[in-house]
Amino acid sequence: MKKISHVLVALLLSVALLAGCGGGSGGSAQPSAPPADSSSDSAPSAAPEDAGEQTFRVAYIARAQADSFAAWLANAVREEADKYPNISVDIMDGEASDDKVNSLIENSITNRYDLIIVQPNNGEAQRPYVEQIIAAGIFAITTNARIEGIAGGSSVDADPYMQAAVNAVAALEQVPENANVVVLNGPPGNFHADQRRLSWQTEFFEKRSDVTIVGEQIANWNKDEAMAFMEDWIQANDRIDAIISMNDNMAAGALEAVKDNPKFADILAYGVDGTAEAILLIQEGKMTSTCLQSAYDLAELLLETSNKLLTGQETEINTDIGNPLVTIDNVEQYIEMHKRAGAL
Amino acid sequence: MIKKYNIYLVLIILFFLCALINPNFLSIGNLSNISRQLAVTTILAFGATILIIGGMLDLSAGSVLALAGVLAVDCYKSTNSLILSLIVGILAGMACNLINAVMVANFKTPPFIATLAMMTMARGVALLYTQGQNILQLGDFVVFGQGTVFGMPVSVIFLIVIAIFTWYILKHTRFGRSLYAVGGNEAAAVASGINVIRSKYIAYLINGAFVGLAGVLFMSRINAGQPNGAIGFEFHALTAAIIGGTSFSGGVGTASGTLAGAFIVGFLNNIMNLANVDSYLQQVIRGAIIALAVIYDIWTKGRRTKGHLGNVEDKNKKQKVAS
Repeated sequence: MKKISHVLVALLLSVALLAGCGGGSGGSAQPSAPPADSSSDSAPSAAPEDAGEQTFRVAYIARAQADSFAAWLANAVREEADKYPNISVDIMDGEASDDKVNSLIENSITNRYDLIIVQPNNGEAQRPYVEQIIAAGIFAITTNARIEGIAGGSSVDADPYMQAAVNAVAALEQVPENANVVVLNGPPGNFHADQRRLSWQTEFFEKRSDVTIVGEQIANWNKDEAMAFMEDWIQANDRIDAIISMNDNMAAGALEAVKDNPKFADILAYGVDGTAEAILLIQEGKMTSTCLQSAYDLAELLLETSNKLLTGQETEINTDIGNPLVTIDNVEQYIEMHKRAGAL
Repeated sequence: MIKKYNIYLVLIILFFLCALINPNFLSIGNLSNISRQLAVTTILAFGATILIIGGMLDLSAGSVLALAGVLAVDCYKSTNSLILSLIVGILAGMACNLINAVMVANFKTPPFIATLAMMTMARGVALLYTQGQNILQLGDFVVFGQGTVFGMPVSVIFLIVIAIFTWYILKHTRFGRSLYAVGGNEAAAVASGINVIRSKYIAYLINGAFVGLAGVLFMSRINAGQPNGAIGFEFHALTAAIIGGTSFSGGVGTASGTLAGAFIVGFLNNIMNLANVDSYLQQVIRGAIIALAVIYDIWTKGRRTKGHLGNVEDKNKKQKVAS
């Protein structure tokens, strides 16, 4: 009896495993094409001449599907891929773990994908693995954030310094003299978090020595953590003139803490990402501005870049999306964008 | 006697120290803030206390909270019923913990492994359900986490009710007594006729109801249904329980101790934010306090055991002398 139950459990696990492995996303049911040039030992090669007829297999390794921006980007990549009949994309989840992302890269190399897009969890931890992709003769694209200086690799990104800078430049005029401000930071060591903070320092704080930072903490991109910090700060400070946040989620959390407090009715708030929530807050006049890091634009550029690489039009591409500042004056077009995407 | 009330002495001393460090600490607004900020993790901590006393554990609390929360939010968006969304949240928490109970009580899976599996599954379901996107524009749903009744935050009212409930079941019910027995020595509990499996089921179901309620309060407080929210909250809950004197070995712990533990952590976080203490230093201080609490727990338990053995040895000596 015990032996039978062991066999049954083993069978059940095997079926589950097969079902799981067979359920890839992105319409990968197409038979896979052979690698563009599996004999290449360094730089990835261009596709063969009959590129128009074959389906290229692309692995998209997301940093963490639990990260709302990463999930938005992964969904946008999946949607954009539908426009390319010659490309099938498999989406994989790095679960916010360097080890997991690195393993997924290794597996994708083993599975001979034609192109691997990596959204790094930690650029430096993934660097040697992305270099392995190139060494295996497979095209590699790093995105959000790019890993700089990988020979033969391509990248599609937004510039985090500029994303914060467009807000900071606007804030130079908007933040009142001798203002008290609070600063909400992303996880230390994260390229985007560090670059955005550096940008605020260079483009705003160094030019506005009259401004005092009365509270600065790491809220790890999280709304609830930012909200709790803000609740405490408004107890310790009678006047806070501006919330300077490295992303929208934290800015929304801080605004949640003061939303019914008339003392802070005119508070300024700056973020980055252009999430649906931030766009609504700007429309309501509660948030001052954000820089749109459009997952749709990134996805469009990622697929365009992939297509160019796979069909041999280019061998290496490094490109950025724009950094549009969203304010009350232009918010309506972004509301429409989120409505179209089903986020609102 | 004093040893029994150590944790409350620490809490009172910390309270006055905080008041001395920053005068804003004592303001009604700030104390109300602390209570509201603590409501979610303290409710989770009560669930954790019940489980740990019974020799169990729940690592899935944060993930189940997120799942229950997004289901409740979605239910509210579809039905506009606060009561129904609250019930959905609580039932979702209980359903996940029913699975935990089956794995732990019937299949004898170590609670660490069973709830680790649930942690991954629940988070996955929450992300699948929402496609990783936040649910926005919650309307009146925010009343659970942000509303007040006669000036008292609704979340704090829930916290008080849960605190009284936990204290009552641990102190004044047969289930509570059996839980201490199961956690203290499971074999002895079985031998004395306690239905261990039943106790474990009840413990996980109560924990599930608390986690589901916490999910509703959390999403309501932040005014969004976040499938990726509350990551690591199970550890905040465990921290409060351990600082409050709940022993990881099982069989020891109280509701009032956990409440005190949660407020010690809350006071510390609050005063460090009021004083704008550096983020990195805050983490060092929080970690040091957990380490101290555990060392103190082991040290006092060692002394109690030593004292107990000492008494036994004295008794044996006396018996030998008498014979």
